[in-house]
Amino acid sequence: MDGVINLLVNGLATGMLVFLLAVGLTLIFGLMSVLNFGHGGLFAWGAYGGVWLYGVTGSFVAALIGAVVIGMALGWMMERWVIRPVYGNHVQQILVTLGVMLVLSEMLKVVWSPNPLKADVPPLLSGSWEIGSVILIKYRLFVIVIGLLVFLAVQLVLKKTKIGLIVRAGVMNKEMVQALGIHIRTIFTLVFMVGAGLAALGGALLAPYSGVIFSEMGMQFAILAFIVVVIGGMGSIQGSMLAAILVGLSGSFLAYYLPELSLAGNMLLMVIVLLIKPSGLFGAKG
Amino acid sequence: MVLIGLPFVTDSRSFLMMLTQIFIFAVFAMSYDILLGYTGIVSFGHCMFFGVGAYSVGVMMNEKGAAIGSLLLAILIGMVLSALLSYIVGMLSLRLKSHFYAMLTLAFSGLLLVLAEKWRSVTHGNDGFTFQVPELIKDRTVLYFIALVIMVLVYLGLRRFIHTPVGRVLQAVRENEQRTESLGFEIVHYKVLASIVAGITASLSGSLYVLTLRFVNTTVFSMDMTLNALLMTIIGGVGTLIGAIIGASIIEFAHHWLTELAKFHPIFERWIIFFGLLYILVVLLFPAGIVGTLRSKWHKYRKARPQDTDPSGVSTESESQGKKVNVS
Repeated sequence: MDGVINLLVNGLATGMLVFLLAVGLTLIFGLMSVLNFGHGGLFAWGAYGGVWLYGVTGSFVAALIGAVVIGMALGWMMERWVIRPVYGNHVQQILVTLGVMLVLSEMLKVVWSPNPLKADVPPLLSGSWEIGSVILIKYRLFVIVIGLLVFLAVQLVLKKTKIGLIVRAGVMNKEMVQALGIHIRTIFTLVFMVGAGLAALGGALLAPYSGVIFSEMGMQFAILAFIVVVIGGMGSIQGSMLAAILVGLSGSFLAYYLPELSLAGNMLLMVIVLLIKPSGLFGAKG
Repeated sequence: MVLIGLPFVTDSRSFLMMLTQIFIFAVFAMSYDILLGYTGIVSFGHCMFFGVGAYSVGVMMNEKGAAIGSLLLAILIGMVLSALLSYIVGMLSLRLKSHFYAMLTLAFSGLLLVLAEKWRSVTHGNDGFTFQVPELIKDRTVLYFIALVIMVLVYLGLRRFIHTPVGRVLQAVRENEQRTESLGFEIVHYKVLASIVAGITASLSGSLYVLTLRFVNTTVFSMDMTLNALLMTIIGGVGTLIGAIIGASIIEFAHHWLTELAKFHPIFERWIIFFGLLYILVVLLFPAGIVGTLRSKWHKYRKARPQDTDPSGVSTESESQGKKVNVS
């Protein structure tokens, strides 16, 4: 039983990290119909930036905020210089964002080092609570809480604020929003920056969770995020949340009970969803 | 002609080896171009087929011994497996928008990479294993000619393929999917067919690749292999088989050259950055690549000459060039 609870917490924490990556991806896709293959690169930059800032400032909060700022800045540059010229052309978008991924993860090796870096858990969040015989690792609970907060915040902004209204309207009908006198390009940039910032936040949170970061981690997690987005349905935030939790849980349980199948499990999940409902659990269109 | 005479002139084994690799990567890039350039589908897992071809040769040579018969059988097995794999992935994802194929191929190739790393009893993981090759192709010059002949054959074969009615339909799909569908073509079948042809050809190149190295490890399944194909095709020119060959030569030469430069400044060790930036610029500014851009310049020049200025003709030309990768 204790083992099961541990696996549950583990799976939820991984799920939340994947969710942070996937939510930006799906938000950007929903509004701009751009599938950002460079998203994993932003995630890795968030991780490196977070570890570096934590080392420099010694404050974990500053590290998280700094990572988000780095992510948003990179997102801004990416949207302006790389994505803007290829709006509406899917093949070019896919190709060019992959190029960005390549450059971003190689730049990591130049700016920091090609070798993996160690990442520490801040003292306040290290250690664990013991309730009876159940051991709850603090940092994992922290990740779950942050993930839930981000989910609620995104939902709240989308549902309750004017910006959210515009974004949701933009998802439905871009031309109409533009015709109503709203500068949709600015909204695009904003959403892209938020998505990039969330990815960087996910990276910064992941670093102490896994203890070590390396430049290829972006691609690894990007694959997970893609699986999540496909399972949840492209453009659906609730779908991403549900799928991320599914992927996280299946990952942690399979790694314990059937270690050979841990990655294959996610793929299997995706294949089943694609066969039954190609548009994903919450997807409206294929 | 120069290429045929070359082995008898040069003594440099490494140069010969590099040319052999260029031929092999040209085959790989051409197979990728069938997908990207002629059908307009983006795959990020083309290394799967390369790796399947590579491992079927490696494992077969290791288990059954080095004989021509078993080598040919291994290449055939690689092709069949690749065809099956591309059929499955294609059927799962090609019904959907282009994003899905890109994501799914990425995920599948990730899965295969993990599988190859874990299945150590057969693949020996990342350490890989060396194996014997049949007597006949131990000679580098013979291998050089084999690679050259196969490249030419693949070029002719694929050129034939794209001019068949099926190939024409594929190009119609690239230009306008909806319209092709409304003409009554079942586009999914055509797309799957294209991915099978590409998969089989890529498998062949993978088989040849490990023959030159006499060694195979899991890097054949890595993202870098897919990136190779992508860079070569994009920089050389999508939608032109010659472009894939030129792209392969440029990337391989530049790779060698930049690795040499790493002696002077460590930044050149990160040569992928240069390729990545070049790649982004090419996608943004010259979506037709080197060959495509030169070709359109040439057409413009020829068109402009006889009738002085013909703005309508020029604009349709540039439009069709822009469309080379324009598929939504």
